[in-house]
Amino acid sequence: MADLASFTRFARTYDPGEIIFAEYEPGDSFYLIQSGRVKISKIVGDLEKTIDILQPPEFFGEMAILEGAPRSATAQAMDKVKVLEFNRANFEVLMMGNPQMALRLLKLFTKRIWDQKRRFMILTLEEPQAKVADVFLMLAETGAAVQANAEQEGEKREFKVTVEDVAHWAGMSGQEVQTILGHFANQRRVELFPDKIVVRNISDFQRFVSTRRKK
Amino acid sequence: MPKAGIYRANSVIYFQGDLSDKIYILQSGTVSLNYTDIENGKEIHEIIEKGEFFGVKSALGKYPREENAVVLSDTQVLVFTVPEFEVFTQANTRIIMKMLKVFSNQLRRVHKQVETLLEKSEAESPEIGLFTAGGYYLKNRQYSQAKYIFSRYLTYYPAGRLAEQASRYLEMAETSTLKYGDGKGPAPLVVEASREAQSVRQGGQAGAAGPGGAQPAAAPGASPAAPGDELSSSAKAYYDAVSLFSQGKYKEALVAYKKIADDKSDPEYSAKALYDMGRCLYMLAQYDATIRHFTQFVQTNPKSPDIVDSLFWLGQAYEKKGDVERAKGFYKKILAMESDEDAAVRLKAKKALRLLEEAARG
Repeated sequence: MADLASFTRFARTYDPGEIIFAEYEPGDSFYLIQSGRVKISKIVGDLEKTIDILQPPEFFGEMAILEGAPRSATAQAMDKVKVLEFNRANFEVLMMGNPQMALRLLKLFTKRIWDQKRRFMILTLEEPQAKVADVFLMLAETGAAVQANAEQEGEKREFKVTVEDVAHWAGMSGQEVQTILGHFANQRRVELFPDKIVVRNISDFQRFVSTRRKK
Repeated sequence: MPKAGIYRANSVIYFQGDLSDKIYILQSGTVSLNYTDIENGKEIHEIIEKGEFFGVKSALGKYPREENAVVLSDTQVLVFTVPEFEVFTQANTRIIMKMLKVFSNQLRRVHKQVETLLEKSEAESPEIGLFTAGGYYLKNRQYSQAKYIFSRYLTYYPAGRLAEQASRYLEMAETSTLKYGDGKGPAPLVVEASREAQSVRQGGQAGAAGPGGAQPAAAPGASPAAPGDELSSSAKAYYDAVSLFSQGKYKEALVAYKKIADDKSDPEYSAKALYDMGRCLYMLAQYDATIRHFTQFVQTNPKSPDIVDSLFWLGQAYEKKGDVERAKGFYKKILAMESDEDAAVRLKAKKALRLLEEAARG
């Protein structure tokens, strides 16, 4: 990262435990990690849920390009952390001098656009049950699923998610999602565990969702 | 090296759903990208201009093509693989910049569409969310994190419905850090933020920052959450000044406080503002002015609830000027006057005194 030496005036340092930004805060800057680890977390009920641990040379807070959108998670330094801080004013200078970084950001944007579009598709389903099923399809597409016993049960997928996670993606309350997952469990379509949710037949969910989607 | 490709009219370069790592530039001819708008279900035909890239997003993002690329008249393209595209753009940063702009606009648009759908269902206001997060950290004795969040809360929502609670919690976090250190001590009692939030909602003010309401402004100071109508004008002015102070804009805060202090229509706030003026002077490193200000304040406002804190700032200002004996005198006076062991000012004075005595010994 020697080519970033001329950008020290955009450098910021944080001590271990220090918050870089908090969930729900408005923000207009995003960051590139130069050294140290950054924890991305959310407060869910009575727990702080770690969503990700990022390292150099990863970006975070890039959704700040969305005007007026509050931060969706908290970023906290785990070690002594050094970052470059981007905002609208310095963005172009930094990118023009660093085509590799610009390309990485471009790739990140393509992923975010897909994420948002996929989320939109979930939310436009009318039936709550279809929404919940589609969340699992989305998670499977993004590779979040662990295939359980691949040989024998090719259609079975394991997801390390909680009811709250699913509710977040489906834009529903945890209570509603709990009820629907309860139904699915009674129909033996899913198995519920404290730390994971197992979909017994992902193709069954695919058929279910595609019949509910308006053409 | 990118390869040239020739397509006849009415052929298809790629289909929706295809997985491919090819990126194209149109050199001549006409290509239309056909897809269904995810929002209104309309069929969209987007004509590619000469020199324009297409197929970039799905190739870079490694997801299926989202459109059919249909050839309308005989067409010549240049075909890149992703690695070739990367090499090509490294020497042409302007191209990436242009794409970054296009993509960030698309991201904004699709994000807005998602938000529109979400507003109907899910609606945690950022104001309450921020407050709740602060409560979590305080309860779990992560005082420095709690301090960060509550002071941010006060910056963004200086006149928010939870502002008083937030400043109480901020003080709790400060007191606990001083007394026990981060992560130690008994867990502070925190009223469930959700309950607080509930009362806010029931207060009929949910619209202040609630469902579909204003997002917090990126520029602090333009607080969207000010319910205003319930606060007197001097209270509102006072909280605006508090906000300036918490943003480190001490000069502006000083001006704002002075205006409130001079306006005697609301004695409660003018006294508060007078005290806060001294803090501004101290933060601006005007220690002589700080001393003059607080000395006068103590004499003219002997009943003020901020009296003991004023002594602390006097001590701090003398310390900065190198007058250790005077500083110690003020800290000792605080210990004598403030009997509540847990009062933040007593803890601060105790700590300051200890540090001075250690420095003298060392």
